[in-house]
Amino acid sequence: MTATTAPEAALGVLPRSDGSAKYSHAGYTVTASVNGPIEAQRRDEHAYEAHVDVVVRPAAGVGGTRERHLESLLQSSLSQLILVKNFPRSLIQIVLQVEDSPENDYVNTKLVQASLNLAIMPALVQTAVLALLSAGVPMRATATATAIAIARQDGAQRIIVDPSPREIETGRSVHVLAFTSHGGLLLAESEGDFTVREWDEVYETARAICCRSAPAKDGMAMLLDDEATGGPDMRHFLRSTMESKVVADLHWK
Amino acid sequence: MATAERSVVLPGETIDPSLIPSDPKKALRLGPGLRHIPPTDIVPTVAGQLVTNPVKNSMWIEYNSNRYIPSQNDIVLAQVLRSATDFYLCSLSPHTAPATLPHLAFESATKKTRPILSPGQLVYARVALANRHMDPELECVSASTGKADGLGPITGPGCAFDVSLGFARRLLMARSREDGGVGVLEMLGGEEGGGLAFETAVGRNGKVWVGSESARTVVLVGRALQETDRRGLGIEGQRRLVKKLVKEMR
Amino acid sequence: MPREAEPSLNEKQFVIQALQENLRLDGRELDQYRPLELTFGDQYGVADVTLGNTRILAKATAEVTVPYADRPLDGIFTIATELSPMTSPAFEVNRPTETEVLLSRLLEKTVRRSGALDTESLCLVAGQKCWSVRVDVHALSHDGNLTDAACLAVVAALRHFRKPDTSMEGGRLTVYTPAEREPVPLSWLHSPFCVTWSFFGDEGELAVLDATWLEEQVRVGSCTISLNKHGEICQIAKLGGTPVDAVALLQCTNVALTKVKEFSDLVDQKLAEDLKRRDKGGFMAELRAENDR
Repeated sequence: MTATTAPEAALGVLPRSDGSAKYSHAGYTVTASVNGPIEAQRRDEHAYEAHVDVVVRPAAGVGGTRERHLESLLQSSLSQLILVKNFPRSLIQIVLQVEDSPENDYVNTKLVQASLNLAIMPALVQTAVLALLSAGVPMRATATATAIAIARQDGAQRIIVDPSPREIETGRSVHVLAFTSHGGLLLAESEGDFTVREWDEVYETARAICCRSAPAKDGMAMLLDDEATGGPDMRHFLRSTMESKVVADLHWK
Repeated sequence: MATAERSVVLPGETIDPSLIPSDPKKALRLGPGLRHIPPTDIVPTVAGQLVTNPVKNSMWIEYNSNRYIPSQNDIVLAQVLRSATDFYLCSLSPHTAPATLPHLAFESATKKTRPILSPGQLVYARVALANRHMDPELECVSASTGKADGLGPITGPGCAFDVSLGFARRLLMARSREDGGVGVLEMLGGEEGGGLAFETAVGRNGKVWVGSESARTVVLVGRALQETDRRGLGIEGQRRLVKKLVKEMR
Repeated sequence: MPREAEPSLNEKQFVIQALQENLRLDGRELDQYRPLELTFGDQYGVADVTLGNTRILAKATAEVTVPYADRPLDGIFTIATELSPMTSPAFEVNRPTETEVLLSRLLEKTVRRSGALDTESLCLVAGQKCWSVRVDVHALSHDGNLTDAACLAVVAALRHFRKPDTSMEGGRLTVYTPAEREPVPLSWLHSPFCVTWSFFGDEGELAVLDATWLEEQVRVGSCTISLNKHGEICQIAKLGGTPVDAVALLQCTNVALTKVKEFSDLVDQKLAEDLKRRDKGGFMAELRAENDR
């Protein structure tokens, strides 16, 4: 399967929700809808801030522990981005529907998978951020995310950006990192065996992918572009997607 | 080209200080989509285009969305949910907390002469109070003059249509054709539409009520509005749409 | 408990008044469907149906399990319908609403009980091993007529689906991965589709096809007719509402048949297009595989 395709996104794909986005990258396709701020139920109501509700729905089967785990990770990350204090006692509801995930051609997939699927995380974060932007929910900053695997090949360790399921299976560790547009680390989840030095390397690679600022295209960024681990420029992608949306929305200006 | 000077901003981005209007006499006014982090930072919170007005020393972010967030003095099209002891509970958008409309907030209303509104009734009202910690309050009368100024319950044959908030804002502009780029209503009532007779009430909450004796006209106007909004048509596109619809609905 | 927003009185009255003049808010004829689109995903068994502003995604999957003790010769076939808050904030996770229950029952009756999928062909080892085929129906956007769109999506997804190939050798069952052997289609017997009529007016004298959400909230009754292109009726469901004239209902069934033929042609055509698109890579890949050996 082609894992190194450029990310693609479409905004406002669901006409009946406040904001929506469809995002596909590295074999994952996720559609998200955002509704809010709407009235929160009594049990979810916070006196001083909005409750951010995240629902992750798998393409097949019912959501289980795995989805709940992903939801809790997303919930805490996205609550940091959204200006929740602006909407006390309300609810911002984000539903992420997984449409497609890359299949491992060497294994027959089981419907119920208890194991954690970290590699889907970047697609979920990215779709959620795009949908929030499309809904015009006030946010502190935007975020970008990426997945990185470390594999040991012929005695030398290798860093793989956007690993395929096969590479995750054979690799030693998987890491998911998300950064805010201010360059702060928003989310870091790792799985497998790795050393601190390896993690540092993962961090630098992820940072280069997520936080490459568009104006600094020459010097430093160019160097990184040439590297094999370069990967896509997520921040630039986010910006150009939003720019085209804004231009289309404000065509009358 | 207009696109060249478009300054698109994303939440959390730094705004070029040269773009911030700096009138030494007036205080800087921040509109929707911006927040001030003391002491000096001004940060966008939504994705949109940064617009500044040096004359009024104000700046805001122009963007389009679907979920209405009440703001004082907005004119909205509300729907009565039910009547409580001395106010009506109204809905401004689906699934949001209801707004209150006092029974006496109508032109020359007293306890005995107040209008009786049934659940489901549409009301054209002004947001009198909007505060993040409280449910919004509406009124159908100007507090200073005591006049209705066109506000009040909507009666007569017609239908409400949903449009995006940005489109509703453009329709409400004083010179909607020049500033907002919507001429579709003028065209429908004018030459292109064959002089259709209808009236409209546009609410900032993304609802447009179209009233006419002829159901055909209501449908035609409603479709013209919704398609102009959805397909993002310019003046020329709107003219073509109106001609097409008028021909189709004959 | 969040509730679905009711349309305003003005809207309700107008919808009925306009229908009496043969007018619909979106300018359609009374028996006209909204633009219908069907696309398939990159994987087998993913169908995406758009009907105006209504959008349904169906995904078929299969795994090997143990058959039910009372049906040792049959495979397992389930259709899972769960409406998420994505459909509308009025739906909650894990709390089925009436809409959801009715939708899943209708799909069950139309697709599963009508024997569209040959469940006997899903049996691998009698009483021990069988295929469990599951279709997940995701309603992404709800603007009325979920039933017709969902049924079309389910049928399209199942017909597009390929399950892993298997073989039996000396009592040993082998399930091949997609890398080893090209997956095989399901044994499909006929394609049933749903056509839903909505009734308006005091005596339900106005029959309308493919109602939008607003129209659904105003209607006085509805009737879902499920049939295949040969005119074989799988089920007719008229759940409560105003009684409808029998002769009018017969007329509705006749119109339903013409619509079903259109749906059937659409699915056939899209499946053929998709096959062509896939075959480009498939044929070349096969050639390469030949060379490798």
